[in-house]
Amino acid sequence: MKDNNSQKHKAIKILSESKDNKLVTHLNSCVHCGLCAESCIYYLTTKDEKFIPARKVNLISSLYQRYCTFTGKHFPFLTGARNLNEEIIDEMVDQLFGACTLCGRCNMHCSVGVDISYVVRAGRKMLSEMGFVPATLQSTVNAAIQTGNNMSIPVEEFTDTLSWLEEDLRDEVNDPHASIPLNVQNTNILYTLNPREPKFFPLSISAMAKIFYAAKEIWTLSTSMYDVTNYAYYTSNNNEAEVIAERLYNEMLKLKAKRCVLAECGHGSRAFRWEAPNYLRKSFPFEVITSVELLAEYISKGRIKLDKNLNKETITLHDPCNLVREGGIIEQQRYILRNAANNFIEMTPYGIDNFCCGGGGGQLSMSEYNERRMKIAEIKTEQIRKTGAAIVATPCHNCVDQLIQIDNKFKLGVKIKTLAEIVADAIVLE
Amino acid sequence: MKIDGKEFEVDGDGFLSDPYIWNEEVAVLFAKYDGIEELNEKHWAIIKFIRKNWEETGMAPMIRSICKDTGLKLREIYQLFPLGPARGACRVAGLPKPDGCV
Repeated sequence: MKDNNSQKHKAIKILSESKDNKLVTHLNSCVHCGLCAESCIYYLTTKDEKFIPARKVNLISSLYQRYCTFTGKHFPFLTGARNLNEEIIDEMVDQLFGACTLCGRCNMHCSVGVDISYVVRAGRKMLSEMGFVPATLQSTVNAAIQTGNNMSIPVEEFTDTLSWLEEDLRDEVNDPHASIPLNVQNTNILYTLNPREPKFFPLSISAMAKIFYAAKEIWTLSTSMYDVTNYAYYTSNNNEAEVIAERLYNEMLKLKAKRCVLAECGHGSRAFRWEAPNYLRKSFPFEVITSVELLAEYISKGRIKLDKNLNKETITLHDPCNLVREGGIIEQQRYILRNAANNFIEMTPYGIDNFCCGGGGGQLSMSEYNERRMKIAEIKTEQIRKTGAAIVATPCHNCVDQLIQIDNKFKLGVKIKTLAEIVADAIVLE
Repeated sequence: MKIDGKEFEVDGDGFLSDPYIWNEEVAVLFAKYDGIEELNEKHWAIIKFIRKNWEETGMAPMIRSICKDTGLKLREIYQLFPLGPARGACRVAGLPKPDGCV
């Protein structure tokens, strides 16, 4: 346990000197109705009251009371104010990092509209200032900052992997000139990747390359900055989030691409498309879209031709929280699946009321809370089982990994695929 | 973590806390825990290559290198290790958990 007063002071400053009116309002608005409890996968699967989202807000508002209000400063016992000490820090780490996927489902169900995950992120920011980010999560941020991608892939191994995939692409489309272009300037699209794609799961890269080929797109990948993730979004360390976001921003300017297309990655899309202009304090002179929107656009404009009979198995869809509930990208993935597959069925609930897979909010990388992560996954498991689908599609690599683990642990017998893989399988080349 | 009466010190994700205590018996037991009842020649080729790469470079190899060295197809590797190269093969090979979305 670190006990450093200047670090604590910095953490309290997040509350006391905050010009963030939203935070102050949302910290002080909870009416303790308890509706959020039934929306949270941690509470629903454990019935442990400490996991009720309002309790998480309460941890931070009790500190706000103690250090930022007259009564709390002078008569803390009257307001439930708490000192920032070892005890509350342990509770904050356990509940804000270890028991929240930032899925935002509680926000939707809050009777007075408190943005609970916003408050949780402010709590994570305080912990980050004090050096209490779980080691496994921080190590992924460090890898990204030190090596340029969160899996520390050396450039040479990355380029070797892409030329290997390029050969496969040429075989697949039967065209010796088909390519995966690298570091090309003035293209329509700079495409990004989740580093787990080149490292371990490249089928989605091959799929997107085939789609770009079919759409006759002018696109490129960058070998120096392709990582779509930004794990500093999860640690709420905005300085580190800014470093990572600025690299992609600069790469866009360097390569003079018109659009930045974000790979199927929930938090990465959120971090670069919706948060990064705030991290960098500027609006972007280029367009940023998710590949989900791009695929829908290719289909609606007739730039790719699909035969949905090529995907015969029943497919259900898992909605990544960051894209759907937070980002409002809801219809495009359904439009894609209805056009690319014969039999698409929804799980219940779906869309903005869907349940998190359990791997969000950085949980997938935090080994410390692995047991809880698999416990909260019981809800998603039952949702999938009830559909009877053979394939679960999801436009998020983080969700893909969690769903692979769910499939293995709970013996679902389903295949997990990205949207690009499903679209690529349905493509008819002209 | 206890498998077949043997106790292993692991991280929260079930990766060996001390990768240096790994041996082939550990691989067999870890695989069993994931539902792989028997490790065949192809499994071993993957495990041994991953292990060698980690001992030499401190890193898990890229999937491309695994395919190239073992001569196996990508999809075959996913079938052999249903949890994938990271949580499946690297864990059985006794490596620490890789960073990132795995």
